[in-house]
Amino acid sequence: MSIESWSSQLRKGAAELAVLAMLRKQELSGIGLLDELAQKPEIGLSDGSIYPLLNRLEREGRVKGVWVTPKNGGRGQKIYSLTPKGRAALKTMSAAWSGFKDQLSTIVGDAP
Amino acid sequence: MTSNEKIETYVRELSRALSSLEKNDRDDILLEIRSHLEHREDENRLDEALASLGPAGKCARGFFEEIRLQEAFTDGGPTKTIGALLALASRRITAAFGLLAAGIFYLMAAGFALTAVAEVVTPELAGLWVNADNGTYFFGIIDSENTADAVELLGGWTIPVAASLAVLALVCGQWLGRFFVHLMMRDRMKQRG
Repeated sequence: MSIESWSSQLRKGAAELAVLAMLRKQELSGIGLLDELAQKPEIGLSDGSIYPLLNRLEREGRVKGVWVTPKNGGRGQKIYSLTPKGRAALKTMSAAWSGFKDQLSTIVGDAP
Repeated sequence: MTSNEKIETYVRELSRALSSLEKNDRDDILLEIRSHLEHREDENRLDEALASLGPAGKCARGFFEEIRLQEAFTDGGPTKTIGALLALASRRITAAFGLLAAGIFYLMAAGFALTAVAEVVTPELAGLWVNADNGTYFFGIIDSENTADAVELLGGWTIPVAASLAVLALVCGQWLGRFFVHLMMRDRMKQRG
């Protein structure tokens, strides 16, 4: 497996956790999520990957999307929020991530 | 190409690539992608957004991959299990119809091909026949006892006509087969939805 492919797999797993964690703080659209994550390119979310991910999370019932049209008549957007199921998933995933990160850091930390 | 045309073209191509999805799911995705592109257009970032989305086919594959992922991890309860069984039954009926329809065309192709060969081996029995008594037509090979009551119309044209009809029936059979496979895939995607 190439380094690029390995990095891609790593980012795929992290993207879901990142999206759920961001939606815990505030309700956001796909564009809102992308703009928030624009300064964190290592997360690897792009225009082409955010919507399939949100679509799956919505099918799984972890997020809920609602179409909102601004009162001033601007363009509508689908705004996503975390569901109770999503909050529970986030809690479990965060704990797993924390344990994984700590243990991996102890192994990789001393590597040259 | 104007920005609106770029958006319309992309959404149309994506719609085509997502055609196996249930209409409501597809429309929801298209509405969101359109909204995304229109917002980026407002920010003068349409080309950047289109490049990031990638070709419509690739973008659609992203949705299909996530749906497959969801399916793999879904813990189906009794309702989902019964629904899946019904969906499977419907797919089998679809498959049975598809097999029957395609099979008829494949048999016709074989019959026409056989007629073309028979025109070489026993030209007196193969061709397009019309019954002199009742005026009915028959294309193929007839029994030697019936030749007295029938008149052959095509003569030397029997071979090209029979070969063309064989190819046409074969193509129709293949098209029908693919059509029913497509129907089954659509049923499958509905089940996923």
